[in-house]
Amino acid sequence: MSKLREYFHTEWSAMTLHDWIGLIVTVGAFLAMVWIYFYVFNPKNKERLESQRHIPFEEENTDSENEK
Amino acid sequence: MEETKYNFDVVRWFTIMAIVYLVVGTLVGTYIASELAWPFLNFDIAEITFGRLRPLHTNAVIFAFGGCTLFATSLYVVQRTGNTSLWSPKMAWFTFWGWNLIIVAAVITLPLGINQSKEYAELEWPIDLAIAVVWLSWGLNFIMTIAKRKTSHIYVANWFFMGMFVMITYLHVVNSLAIPVGLFKSYSIFSGVQDAMIQWWWGHNAVGFYLTAGFLGIMYYFVPKQANRPVFSYRLSVLHFWALMFGYVWLGAHHLQYTALPDWTGSLGAAVSLAMIIPSWGGAINGMMTLSGAWDKLRTDYILRFMIMSLAFYAMSTFEGPVMSSKTVNALSHYTDWTVGHVHSGALGWVAMVSAGALYHLVEKLWNTKMYSAALVNVHFWTSTIGTVVYITAMWVSGIMQGLMWRDYDEFGTLTYTFAESVAAMHPYYAMRAIGGAIFWLGGVIMLYNVIMTIRQASAQRSTAAAAAA
Repeated sequence: MSKLREYFHTEWSAMTLHDWIGLIVTVGAFLAMVWIYFYVFNPKNKERLESQRHIPFEEENTDSENEK
Repeated sequence: MEETKYNFDVVRWFTIMAIVYLVVGTLVGTYIASELAWPFLNFDIAEITFGRLRPLHTNAVIFAFGGCTLFATSLYVVQRTGNTSLWSPKMAWFTFWGWNLIIVAAVITLPLGINQSKEYAELEWPIDLAIAVVWLSWGLNFIMTIAKRKTSHIYVANWFFMGMFVMITYLHVVNSLAIPVGLFKSYSIFSGVQDAMIQWWWGHNAVGFYLTAGFLGIMYYFVPKQANRPVFSYRLSVLHFWALMFGYVWLGAHHLQYTALPDWTGSLGAAVSLAMIIPSWGGAINGMMTLSGAWDKLRTDYILRFMIMSLAFYAMSTFEGPVMSSKTVNALSHYTDWTVGHVHSGALGWVAMVSAGALYHLVEKLWNTKMYSAALVNVHFWTSTIGTVVYITAMWVSGIMQGLMWRDYDEFGTLTYTFAESVAAMHPYYAMRAIGGAIFWLGGVIMLYNVIMTIRQASAQRSTAAAAAA
């Protein structure tokens, strides 16, 4: 067995339920993060996302609360 | 257009209390820093020794000042960006009184030595339960207000507040799990290295989700509003949010390098810490570049200066932290004052300064007036900046010196310095740190005075306007 294979060797039969949950959550989080990068930098989504920049300025007409 | 009825009364009170707690919390911090430099200040009174007052200082600045700032800003932002009123104003008042009673309980119990011995989670189990209830009351109110918003999109600042809510709820409950053996005494259900891991899973994520995510929520609303320009890149803010949410939870183990914790966990914590520089700097640049094309505003807008300076400190401390988490640097820096300096570059430079900017903005909006003295805002800015720089410089020098002295040994393998010698060498830097803290505290006092005068000025203006109308 090469050193690299030895390093990455995993005894799958010894995996407990906690190990599997940890593995799935970790890989799931990684894949979700990759998807976020694709979603954010997809040119098709640029206009839709950037249009939300103006939300804090759309409330100027309702700047004050009514007097009680 | 039908005018929306906002509920700002509770926001006003959270704003005032945040500034009061800023002054009180930093005063306690300055006092205990002085005790380290001049130990006679203990006066042999147990209740005011460093060990009793240090948790009071951290609780006062993190949960009293930071909490009130987060509640004030989040309850303001969610209404303004959702174009709607609070889901339950009564519940918001419950949050206000509950949170302040918890702070009173901390002020009483911590100096008496009633303490769970968990860093940043020292309060005993009945208070922990109260924190959970009050925190949930804020979170429920916040989420239900989002649910009744009149806008289609949830603005990114609210995402950060929600992320903070979800994660801090989870972290607080798990970290505080304990077996009570009396009204004021309990034992954590965790022990040994598991206890240490849970402690720092909480400890670092309190930094990540409370002192970072929550205050980034503040940044993403108040920087664009104060600069009167939309945030530089909304796409970058989305990426910043998700990278922070996915990444931060892994970092805690970097606090436990070279301990009984398995080696790989510390390495993983350090690796993800280094990876987190990318979203953190992306966020800092996003905030700063919001001023792109309008940098001249910094000459005249002192409130904006606070916000931009805070982003500079945010960028600096989110670079310093990952560097310190790497094993090579950690071997020198851990257990030294360098860590204290790092924490304060984030706490004073980032959290307190972005809060000051947001609170000044809020005061002007909530009382519908300008600050009583713009010059005093500028004085506060410079005292905060100089105080922070003096503090963290003292701790850098002292920390690196400590690390070098502790690990130095002679040709016989004997330690060159005794621990007491390293303590004596720290004295000038501890005095310098106390002075830096005092300068920062003075800025808080100036802010409190300026805000009180602004509120009085607003009341006088309203009375004059009412008399003229009559």
